[in-house]
Amino acid sequence: MSGETILGRRPVEILARAALRAATALVLAYIAMPLALVVWLSFMAGEIMVVPPEGYSLRWYGVAWNQDQLRSGFVTSLWVAAVATTLGLLVTVPASFALARGRFPGREAVLQLLMSPLIVPGIVIGASIYVFLVQVEIETGLPLAGSAWGIVVAHLLLTVPWCVRLVTANLVGVNRSVEEAALSLGASPLVTALTVTLPMIWPGLVAAAVFGFVVSFGNIEVSLFLVAPGQTTLPIAILQYLQWKIDPTIAAVSVAQIVLIGAALVATSRITNLGKVV
Amino acid sequence: MSAATTEQRRFATLLAPATVIVVAGLVLPLLLMARYSLNRFEPGQFMVEALTFGNYVKIISDPYYRRIAVTTVTMAFTATAICLVVGFPVASAIARAPARWKTALLLLVILPLFVGNAVRAAGWMVALGQKGLLNWILLRLGIVSEPAAFMYTWGAVCAGIVSVNLPYVVLTLQSVLEGTEKSAVDAAQSLGATPFTTWRLVTLPLAMPGVVAAGLLSFILAMNAYATPVLLGGPTFQMMAPSVADQVLQQSNWPLGAALAFTLTAITLILTATVSFTLARTHAGA
Repeated sequence: MSGETILGRRPVEILARAALRAATALVLAYIAMPLALVVWLSFMAGEIMVVPPEGYSLRWYGVAWNQDQLRSGFVTSLWVAAVATTLGLLVTVPASFALARGRFPGREAVLQLLMSPLIVPGIVIGASIYVFLVQVEIETGLPLAGSAWGIVVAHLLLTVPWCVRLVTANLVGVNRSVEEAALSLGASPLVTALTVTLPMIWPGLVAAAVFGFVVSFGNIEVSLFLVAPGQTTLPIAILQYLQWKIDPTIAAVSVAQIVLIGAALVATSRITNLGKVV
Repeated sequence: MSAATTEQRRFATLLAPATVIVVAGLVLPLLLMARYSLNRFEPGQFMVEALTFGNYVKIISDPYYRRIAVTTVTMAFTATAICLVVGFPVASAIARAPARWKTALLLLVILPLFVGNAVRAAGWMVALGQKGLLNWILLRLGIVSEPAAFMYTWGAVCAGIVSVNLPYVVLTLQSVLEGTEKSAVDAAQSLGATPFTTWRLVTLPLAMPGVVAAGLLSFILAMNAYATPVLLGGPTFQMMAPSVADQVLQQSNWPLGAALAFTLTAITLILTATVSFTLARTHAGA
């Protein structure tokens, strides 16, 4: 290989590298653009969406807060996500212990079962739960369809795979000799689990709680079938509003959702490797 | 022997609550749905007990539903192809980025992913609306003389789905590219291969399992897209997930809605199994 070809290649190579870098920046911008535009819209002064805006204003945040439908959607989403995540952790932490520690027949099958809410399409989960609740309501007379319980159980289901994945991943990395020391010093298995193991898997628990919360809070496909008047979650309220019109008010509400979820993710990225989680 | 069974009983107790929730909350409803997909829908009397594949046949033979299926599959293919082509350079850039940049770049990709599709669709409405950003730019540049209709078109839905799927594609490719041997790339280049030849003969083949996995994931997501087609495609644009919701909630045609739901599920499950198989083979090979 002569020096000439190396020199001859350089400008092309530099150009190709620059083009690649520009393409990368463009694609990242494309991913971020929808959120940036929503933030921009929320600060526009006019009542309808016009680019370029007539001016800028903060008043739509106040207007949004005073819209009953949107505020109650926000509150419903908050408490549903909080209850679903708490219950999700309560049922999945023991299960994760068994899955991470146990070698028993059917282990793989149970793991697949617990991960299935992530695999079955959301719209199918929502439709099935809705049809099931209506059928049970017809059989038993219990008012289930359109009740808050339906949403909570459905969202609990959605948090299960995330919690199992994150908690088992942390349990596998636990140094067993510390637990064995506690057991040999006379602590019962339960006390050992609560006072020795739990503190060691703390980052996994926090990550599981955050992801469970975020997944529940942002869900559309499942909630769609289970909301009822006065019992609407925020993403469904936003969806219904957007089917009607787009304006700075709904953008302000969307920004509230972006900020809440963004804060949760930034906090999690400090304690766990985000690239491995998703 | 008895110690082992006590141990197993303890594992069973630990697994019971989560298992019960998934069985009662997902498996039983799915079984009921599967049964209903074989029932008949009689206008005026709701659902009639039956054992027929008529609803599935209708999805394939009725031009109306066949068009929905074709639109959905075409959309999923197009969006996935675009995602793979534009996602690859981003994924390799993130995979090679220094650690302090990597977290920030990953957050930039992950945040939109969790913010929800309705909010992202709102962003696209600002971009593509009658008085939106794109029309303003085109008018200023004199490319169009009056605002063009971008909203409620195939292109708008495709742009939206691409932006929804890109983060997943980038993350999947990124994690595979991160694991590929840098030494192989260095070897190729030290032997005189041009960067493009190196990419074509070394990087791409090594990343192929990731490309397949990312592609299938994107395809599944696009097949099941709900909020994006509803908001950017408008009331007349039909894809499969919105039509499941429409049949179950608006038309009260549970049998047909259930059959549509199971067609979607079947496609999703088959593709998911392919993804895990491909990834399992990569890890076995590594």
